[in-house]
Amino acid sequence: MKTGLFAMTTTPKRQRELHLGLMFWAGGTHPAGWRMSSSKADAAFDIEFLQYVTQLAEKAKFDFLFLGDRLATDPQLQTTNPAQMSRLEPFVSGASLAAATSHIGIVVTANPTYYDPFTVARMFASLDHLSKGRASWNIVTGADAIAAANFSRDTHWDTERRYDWADEFVDVVKGLWDTFEDDAFVRDPVNGTYVDPAKIHKLNHKGQSFAVEGPLNVARPVQGHPVILHAGTSERSRQLGARDADVIFAGQGTIEAAKAYYADMKARAVAYGRDELDFSILPGLTPIVAPTTEEAVAIYDRLNGFLVLDKEDNDGEEVRFGGLGRNALRNLTRVAAILGIDVRGNDHDASVPVQVAEQASPEGLALIAEATRRTRRTVGGPSPLLLKDLIYTTILSGAVAIGNPTEVADFIELWFREKAADGFNIFPPYVPESVEAFVDLVVPELQRRGFYRLDYSGSTFRDHLGLTRPENRFVAKDAAASSKVA
Amino acid sequence: MAHQGQNHTTSDDERRQLHLGYMYWANGTHPAGWRYPGAAHEGAFEPDHIVRLARTAEAAKFDFFFFGDRLATGLNYELTNTSVLARFEPFTAASYLATKTSEIGIVVTANPTYFEPFNLARLVASLDHATHGRASWNIVTGADGRAAQNYSRSEHGDPDYRYDRADEFIAIVRRLWDSWEDDAFIRNKDTGSFVDGEKIHPLNHVGKTFSVKGPLNVARTPQGYPVILHAGTSERSRNFGAREADVIFAASATLEDGVAYANDIRSRARERGRPDGQIKILPGITPLVGKTLEAARQIYDQLNALIILDDDVRFGGREPSYWSLDAKVAEIRGEAVGAGHRNLGALSQRVGISLSHVDIDDLVDLERASAFNHAGSRLLAETDRRTGRGIGQVSWRDLLHTYIVGGHVVVGSAQDIADYFESWFKAGACDGFNVQSAYVYEQLDLFVELVVPELQKRNLFRTEYEGATLRDRFGLKRPLNQFAA
Repeated sequence: MKTGLFAMTTTPKRQRELHLGLMFWAGGTHPAGWRMSSSKADAAFDIEFLQYVTQLAEKAKFDFLFLGDRLATDPQLQTTNPAQMSRLEPFVSGASLAAATSHIGIVVTANPTYYDPFTVARMFASLDHLSKGRASWNIVTGADAIAAANFSRDTHWDTERRYDWADEFVDVVKGLWDTFEDDAFVRDPVNGTYVDPAKIHKLNHKGQSFAVEGPLNVARPVQGHPVILHAGTSERSRQLGARDADVIFAGQGTIEAAKAYYADMKARAVAYGRDELDFSILPGLTPIVAPTTEEAVAIYDRLNGFLVLDKEDNDGEEVRFGGLGRNALRNLTRVAAILGIDVRGNDHDASVPVQVAEQASPEGLALIAEATRRTRRTVGGPSPLLLKDLIYTTILSGAVAIGNPTEVADFIELWFREKAADGFNIFPPYVPESVEAFVDLVVPELQRRGFYRLDYSGSTFRDHLGLTRPENRFVAKDAAASSKVA
Repeated sequence: MAHQGQNHTTSDDERRQLHLGYMYWANGTHPAGWRYPGAAHEGAFEPDHIVRLARTAEAAKFDFFFFGDRLATGLNYELTNTSVLARFEPFTAASYLATKTSEIGIVVTANPTYFEPFNLARLVASLDHATHGRASWNIVTGADGRAAQNYSRSEHGDPDYRYDRADEFIAIVRRLWDSWEDDAFIRNKDTGSFVDGEKIHPLNHVGKTFSVKGPLNVARTPQGYPVILHAGTSERSRNFGAREADVIFAASATLEDGVAYANDIRSRARERGRPDGQIKILPGITPLVGKTLEAARQIYDQLNALIILDDDVRFGGREPSYWSLDAKVAEIRGEAVGAGHRNLGALSQRVGISLSHVDIDDLVDLERASAFNHAGSRLLAETDRRTGRGIGQVSWRDLLHTYIVGGHVVVGSAQDIADYFESWFKAGACDGFNVQSAYVYEQLDLFVELVVPELQKRNLFRTEYEGATLRDRFGLKRPLNQFAA
């Protein structure tokens, strides 16, 4: 068993390595992905389907499979985000994957705002044992205000309160993971000694939000602490991520924005006394890959053709829950607001007029450029960019790479080399076919470039990320006598 | 007992068979089981360990595999039950096991006192999907009061508080399970219609403890409601079980108690309008199996010899008040007694006479035995039943061992144990048993190799699984949806 101290003094100079995760939404991350002919429309509660997709990712040596979560739903999600409206609870899914796979990291989303630290600590510790060191906790603090109503709360707490709570929660969970030292179990049947009492500690935490005595009733996790993931762009979120996270899941759609976020987060981490290599920043990336560029664009067009758009006269604020396209109307009204030009009332199938491209706001120009990048259609070109292409671009936000294997691999390599990303959390727009395409076409190209692992070098998620096993706070402190279990 | 007969025709009785659950204890139930030569004792965090036991139980057609749970730990468990000291969290363990098995039901223990109904509803519902209808929730309200200190609570709460909460909790959970009708999903790729909003229902529950809007974000499950288990002997617990439970996990350790308990639960259920046969009563039991009665008794003696007694075996270094209080709690729970009670002083409290002039290895004499209180007489009889040693052969140490081990233990050959099961079953004391192993793996293996075939030969236990879900195994219908009805 390696220890953090030992590993720190012997690990040779680390290098940045590309990391890949796979976001699992049973119907795909594209809101209409489930309508593709190859998609399984009833996949949301099919555990064997989840296992199959995860095994695909494991064969391609992905770092992790990502299970998102939300604590509320609403029927209107069916047009914006059907994959998130009803699905398997992530701890149950994650433990099933522990049984169905052997190497891939398993990321489970859990929201401190609506859980107790003792429960979360033991579920992750247990999952880490079951998976033999592959568990990871994605900390979210609550994207849905409506969750409060499912948890006997009058209000959804504001960001400050949620992060105050989460900061203390994470500290308690990490402390509970340490309450059994690694060698606390003696298990000597001859002498009848099962545990060494000196190596089992009470936490005795008394803070602003929690009073937790401990110890946990689970042995210290295989990884010491399961891998911590976090996503977010608010100030408090950046603080939590830079301080506590091993992986940051980001959402920037352009390389410029991603580079700025990357630089900010690495600088913050260094300010917290961490090394830049101590954590990875992985933006979401929706890849649509096919043997040829034309085929890939055709898939993108087919997916978008399934989308249900909003009525044109709808310009009000509409609350929409969950993921892609959240809070965004899907019509020319929204496009007009971005362009700064009133294009409402036009046929969606019409070309984007040349004057629009000449008069558009900077944001509008960026929207047009992104739409062209995705579709290869240009304003005034032989294959003209259409107004609906602009609507679709607003719907599928975040980083999108469409093209042949070389083009998609180029995109990944560029973002990595430019320090916009340490890798990506791959968003498969339709499942399983887009996962199969990425695994069959893009991963071998990355490997051919010497840019991605040919095999796992270790067995735990921490191993994949090149992270050391954390020290036990009770050992590090030389175990204050007061923490011993009476 | 008499009125039992009125509720079953003869042919019903002939068709009725035992239900068997297997309760998972990583190191067995005997306090020294983990020390038995060759017994598994390093498996508490090895997933293969669970799989090994569950597959053995599944091959023998057990109804379910049962994960217990507690929300606190302490060093006391080192002596009383190492399996409880630290172990897997049950939902994660159950879901792992779901993938490694295909037929056996999986029971998960979860405590409403320390959960939110929305979280628990979705965990259990998801497990039912992941197991294709094999999930069951064992509702407990708090076996270890130390949990409060792990959950930022000033106190554990009295039973009334905990059962009031549990009553409201289970009602919410059932409605959350119903919040999606079975046909709420349309999933029409051509039209893009994914769900029928009319068939997804908010609860808008506002109660004394909880307000939960809903709907749940999980589809209605294969079983509609996963099977509900409950255990307990208190008044509130009996009422809760009689109203809500599909299976009662009972703690009775004598046939007389077993019959009384079963009749009480059945009559409470009838008062609540539940038809007979809808509640299955399964007492916990540790069958200590040997190839012969003598072999089994030898194992029992060998296990007991490994029990660690107090250093001061006369008085345990404690005041008498210490013995009486904690021992009673342990006895109610059917658990082994711990440090400070493993001495003659504690035994004397139990049997009701002074033992200050006996040596632990003296034989129990008739004069002292005649002066025993009721509990003492029962202890003597129980020791005789387990060891075959009565007055003239039985020592104070033997009595102390029976006292420490406690619980519901039957020692014998396959025939002896099958006889015991049959007598309880035919007397109406139970619908089956929740089987536990004193140590593993040998005890489960022996039970499966020797006792199960004997029960099958007597037509008391299935030879093949019937139906697909755990409800099917218990002959329970899939419940109607409250919102659709």
